[in-house]
Amino acid sequence: MELKRRDFLKILGGATVATALPGCTPKKPQSLIPYVIPHEEIIPGKSVWYAGVCRECPAGCGIHVRVREGRAVKVEGNPLNPVNSGSLCSRGQASLQGLYNPDRIQHPLRKRPDGSWEQLSWQQAEEYLLEQLNGVIRNGKGNSIAWMTPHLTGSLDALIEDFLGAVGSRRRIRYEPIAFEALKRANRISFGRAEIPDHDFASAKFILSFGADFLETWISPVGYTKDFTATRAFDAGAGAKYVYVGPRLSLTATNADEWIAPKPGTEGALAMGMVNVILTSGEAKGISLADSNEILAMTRGFAPKQVEEITGIKAERIRELALEMAAAGSSIAVGGGTVLGSDTEVATLTAINLLNTICGNIGKTVRFDTPLTLSHLQSYADLTRFVQSMEQGEISALFFTETNPVFSTPPALNFTHAMTRVPLSVAFSSFMDETTAQATFVLPVHTPLESWGDYEPKRGAYGLMQPVMQPVFPTTKMSGDVLIAINDKIGRRTTFSTSEQPFFEYVKDRWNSLHRQFGEKQEFDRWWTEALANGGVFRPSSGPFAVRWTGTASELSGILGELKRGETPPDFVLVTSPSINLYDGRGANRPWLQEVPDPMTQITWGNWIEIHPTDAEKLNIKRGDVVQLTTQHGVLEAPAYVYAGVRPGVVAMPIGQGHSEYGRYAKGNGANVYALFPPLPLSSSGGMQWSNIGVRVVNRGEHVKLADVAGSDYLHGRNIVQVVSIEELLRQTKELQEGTYKEEEGFGKPGSASMYQEHEHPDHRWGMTIDLDKCTGCSACVTACYAENNIPVVGKEQVQLGRELSWLRIERYFDDPPADPQAPHNPNAEFLPMLCQQCDNAPCEPVCPVYAAYHTPEGLNAQVYNRCVGTRYCSNNCPYKVRRFNWFDYEWPEPLNWQLNPDVTVRSKGVMEKCTFCVQRVVEGKNNAKMEGRSVADGEITTACQQACPAQAIVFGDLKDPESNVNKLREKNKPRGYRVLEELNTQPAVVYLKEIRS
Amino acid sequence: MTNYKLSYSQTDLDLTQTLNKPKRWYYVAVTLLGLGVAWGAGSWLYQILTGIGVSGKNNPVGWYLYITTFVFWVGIAHSGTLISAILFLFRVKWRSSVYRSAEAVTVFGLATAGLFPLLHMGRVWVFYWTLPYPQMGGLFPNFRSPLVWDVFAITTYLTVSSIFFLTGMVPDVAIIRDKAKGWRKKLYGFLAQGWQGTDNQWRHYTAAYVFLAALATPLVISVHSIVSWDFAMSIVPGWHSTIFAPYFVAGAIHSGLAMVILILIPMRNAFNLHPYITDHHLESLAKFLLFTATVVGFAYLIELFIAWYSHNQWEQAIFLYRAFGDYWFAFWALFVCNLLVPQLFWIKRFRRSIPFLVFVSVAVTIGMWFERFTIIVTSLAHEYIPFAWGLPTLTWSEMGIVVGSFCWFFFLFLLFAKTLPVVSMWEVKEQLDPPMAGKK
Repeated sequence: MELKRRDFLKILGGATVATALPGCTPKKPQSLIPYVIPHEEIIPGKSVWYAGVCRECPAGCGIHVRVREGRAVKVEGNPLNPVNSGSLCSRGQASLQGLYNPDRIQHPLRKRPDGSWEQLSWQQAEEYLLEQLNGVIRNGKGNSIAWMTPHLTGSLDALIEDFLGAVGSRRRIRYEPIAFEALKRANRISFGRAEIPDHDFASAKFILSFGADFLETWISPVGYTKDFTATRAFDAGAGAKYVYVGPRLSLTATNADEWIAPKPGTEGALAMGMVNVILTSGEAKGISLADSNEILAMTRGFAPKQVEEITGIKAERIRELALEMAAAGSSIAVGGGTVLGSDTEVATLTAINLLNTICGNIGKTVRFDTPLTLSHLQSYADLTRFVQSMEQGEISALFFTETNPVFSTPPALNFTHAMTRVPLSVAFSSFMDETTAQATFVLPVHTPLESWGDYEPKRGAYGLMQPVMQPVFPTTKMSGDVLIAINDKIGRRTTFSTSEQPFFEYVKDRWNSLHRQFGEKQEFDRWWTEALANGGVFRPSSGPFAVRWTGTASELSGILGELKRGETPPDFVLVTSPSINLYDGRGANRPWLQEVPDPMTQITWGNWIEIHPTDAEKLNIKRGDVVQLTTQHGVLEAPAYVYAGVRPGVVAMPIGQGHSEYGRYAKGNGANVYALFPPLPLSSSGGMQWSNIGVRVVNRGEHVKLADVAGSDYLHGRNIVQVVSIEELLRQTKELQEGTYKEEEGFGKPGSASMYQEHEHPDHRWGMTIDLDKCTGCSACVTACYAENNIPVVGKEQVQLGRELSWLRIERYFDDPPADPQAPHNPNAEFLPMLCQQCDNAPCEPVCPVYAAYHTPEGLNAQVYNRCVGTRYCSNNCPYKVRRFNWFDYEWPEPLNWQLNPDVTVRSKGVMEKCTFCVQRVVEGKNNAKMEGRSVADGEITTACQQACPAQAIVFGDLKDPESNVNKLREKNKPRGYRVLEELNTQPAVVYLKEIRS
Repeated sequence: MTNYKLSYSQTDLDLTQTLNKPKRWYYVAVTLLGLGVAWGAGSWLYQILTGIGVSGKNNPVGWYLYITTFVFWVGIAHSGTLISAILFLFRVKWRSSVYRSAEAVTVFGLATAGLFPLLHMGRVWVFYWTLPYPQMGGLFPNFRSPLVWDVFAITTYLTVSSIFFLTGMVPDVAIIRDKAKGWRKKLYGFLAQGWQGTDNQWRHYTAAYVFLAALATPLVISVHSIVSWDFAMSIVPGWHSTIFAPYFVAGAIHSGLAMVILILIPMRNAFNLHPYITDHHLESLAKFLLFTATVVGFAYLIELFIAWYSHNQWEQAIFLYRAFGDYWFAFWALFVCNLLVPQLFWIKRFRRSIPFLVFVSVAVTIGMWFERFTIIVTSLAHEYIPFAWGLPTLTWSEMGIVVGSFCWFFFLFLLFAKTLPVVSMWEVKEQLDPPMAGKK
């Protein structure tokens, strides 16, 4: 047979599609693809985007999933979803690595008596489950069936309720380790609402955070970061002022203008002191005189002088702070995280509520009109009661849906043992986590990206989730489908189970009732498909409404009185906080989240103990020394990170590492901090105590090398991160407006003497403007770069050797320490996103012997992987050290390799690589423009880092276009613009805008 | 040995007995060195199959022991041509006994050095892309890259020094050929190129030799200058310096002389060459070493001075780092070994003491290796961006390759010592009275 070229190409094309598309399931649900792009239009080489909701933490950000040839390759934020409006944190982006995790469970499993697993088929599994359940129900013990989930809303939640209703049980536990019990309790006391309000940082002109790390993990960090940077932005005038109070300098704290560290546990007293000052100086707003007098009476004993004694903060400073807050007009005070965790936590938050009330913030920046559904969680106290009933044998069957209490409760609570008292424990789980490993029966379910579903993080925001691709493993099922099948056999028969996609029908049915409830004029089908394409329905709030202060003096005086006790703290107090990458531990099996460094310490693949230098000196602890922490409830060991950003007498640890199960990436990294927590809930709030725990610190006398990526923590007087004072900037801005501003004489202006001709850029020259004042350091851009550019994860050992491959890194510099080690030292951190500067006069280009590094006509320093012979001279000669070498061939264990971006080459060993300004996205943008016969519009092309940035610190565009945003930003912020290492005359295409310091 | 009477025939006899059947120690040495070479070769194979990551380099430090050792061996290769060509042109008499070994050091030094650019390459299987060869895509190497200059410099030097080495040997090889049998006859016959010793041949030969010496002379200067430009053309603080070319050339000669001394002394003992390589010869080398020590010392001090004088913060930071940073020992080692220890040669007693000569030469060899290490590694480890600072690590395979390179060099030299005359017979004879002299 003669094979013509055309035929060959046809077969090749067909074969590619055939192998790429079908995934694995036998049946192909048609409605996988929303109406906007019918499935006939899946064109190889063209991306399709599906909207959804991120389920990596309870915040519920909207996502867009990029699908190529039937495979999800990238997750970005959904601009239409008001929760995050288009950006996404590292965790959300790493949801892909949950989907493609090589350690996913692929078959139903039943535990044999000897503890090993027996693999079952789904039919066997369902039969077995039904048999067991029917046994329980027949014995009339239907009410001993319990179901444990994380925070759920919407269809799956309703379905589980249906099930429990059918078996006649009310044992439902919604458990999240971070459940804000104290906040709910304080709000109930203060306003009669046991709710978590929404916070509007965007309109606050003064922000005061008491330990709430709202830029990292607190409630809804992506949305808050966006609002926060918007209100902080310099726009010919200073942005909002921001003060952080707490024992530890977290990422959120270092972004503040000022960090105040009172004695641990006395932060509430500081708030009361401020209330006292504001009321006595008559600056209170929005409350009646009577209320004002009543509140003033409560602050007796919190006069600034007295507060100084309790907290150790100067009375004068308290007065200034209070008056500044009162004068700001619109302000917000939030509390959480490390200031909580003792029995005064409710008192502290009540004091903060008082402060918000007298500043007139309730109903304005603290809004109860759109409360978070997270408010419906049960408390940790509820869980402990539940564990008791497990121990007493009251539970005969326990279901888990995607929750891991064995890991995320204190081991002293002994959840593991309680599980042994439950005859049947069923885990609906994708991963063999600690809880699943303890269960007797495992049903492997789809990850959220493969499932239908809906999620309502706060009132009015109805997110809709759809499967973005065929299931990765043909033998996993959607939780909803399994549940409907079980429900049908146990309870009443529904029509859903006869459908091909039961849970899809269920979700649709539920949305049908929502449709009726909203009284939409549009036809349902149309409304539904639109909702699907938009990622949900987002209804505006009915408008802020005032919430009255309901706290009575009698109730409050007792609570607030606790704040006056200046307890003598133990030698060391442990404070912990969820990790920005791993949250409560659920991110630990995503390799990106392990490899992207913690922004403050720059440590990867493990956790650490932060200890103040003076304490470290006393105990002779050096960075990397193994330290043992002992509480009454447990012991752990971890390397020390000597850090001036914790108060003396405080040791701090991030939560999330120390898994004993949960797959190859999670296992064996660091220590499990939950081990140190007391099992009993706090009496005041019913929450878990995870801070302010007395702890014994012992130097083990061993040393380990931390896998941190920071070469040096300090700038050594080098002007790499530049800072300008607000006074100086205001003066320069005024000059700029008056036309008298003179730019500093600098090097690196085009036209500098050179032997060679300047490069010509006939069409475009791509450039970037990065606003350091906006960058919070959250590192979402770093993860985005890993995802977009197929950057390999190298693992702990290679990071220790200094061979991480990140093309973009967040350089964290602490202020240089004072020469006198005894002097007080505030280790404020600056962040600098460092990526290839795409120099016009690039040092890397001429030194390459084979032209692998060359200059494109659009001003990019291209690296031709195929041509590279691997001399590494370009990297040596790069002053920014942004080039990365492939020391080995790196692996993506199946099916992680499915995530690889098909537009980007996977590099082989021995070649250099680096940031390309996402050239594949540039090419795509240019192609789209060309197809439509127009020129590229400004803002049409975004780099992955820019797209991900919640702070919108990164702006990319064409420097040849005078109207481009990247140019206009430079023009408008001329006094702040600088290029890193300008004096080397490399002429970078990246301009940084100086950080502003007040 | 003072009244040992040298004559033409005695010279022939003495200098060809080096080729006699080797003793047991020779076989032991060759075997041990061969094992060292095998370790290096095995390490290289492992590195090619696994990736450069098996060596200790990392992100800021892209060049480490390989390039350090490369520059070291290029430096070692310098004394040979200097002694044979430049001193020949200046008619320095003491050179005639030592230049053959010095040239061998050059050729084998280069044969070792030339491996390192390949060894350190990420994808050695495409090394030929650095050469200009005609191909369809029309891609040529980048002539702006100092690495390409390096390719030319090293290959040119290797070619010229090999030709010079072989040419200088022609009359000597002819003598051996005359006595050789079997395959040796063929080998020496080829190397002797039909040498008959006729007047005509001598006339052409001496003219050609001068010509080759003149051709090789500029290479002594140029090769190491170009090697230095691998560094000086970059913008790395501590590399970007105009002093580098003369500084590197001086350093190269310094290390080369030390290596020649280290080779000559055991060889003289092994082959009983005391009448040919006298203490006077060694003393001359020692004086030369003193001279180069002073030159490199001057360069060291000038570098420090310029760092201070320039007010360039990057330059100052790197020199402070060299002296007091992670690799302080390497920095102080190079001052002590290269500059201070050879100063003892001002005293004649030390110049004429064999153990002392060995001690100083070993010191200089170590010191010069550390000099390159300091220049290359400290600069890369502490560049502009403090966040990107980092230190490399030592690995077994990288050490294997470095140690293997030393074994390779001495392995080649041992083979040479038993196959070719280690001292030039015809030039030694030139210094002697003719056979009939004094019997007029």
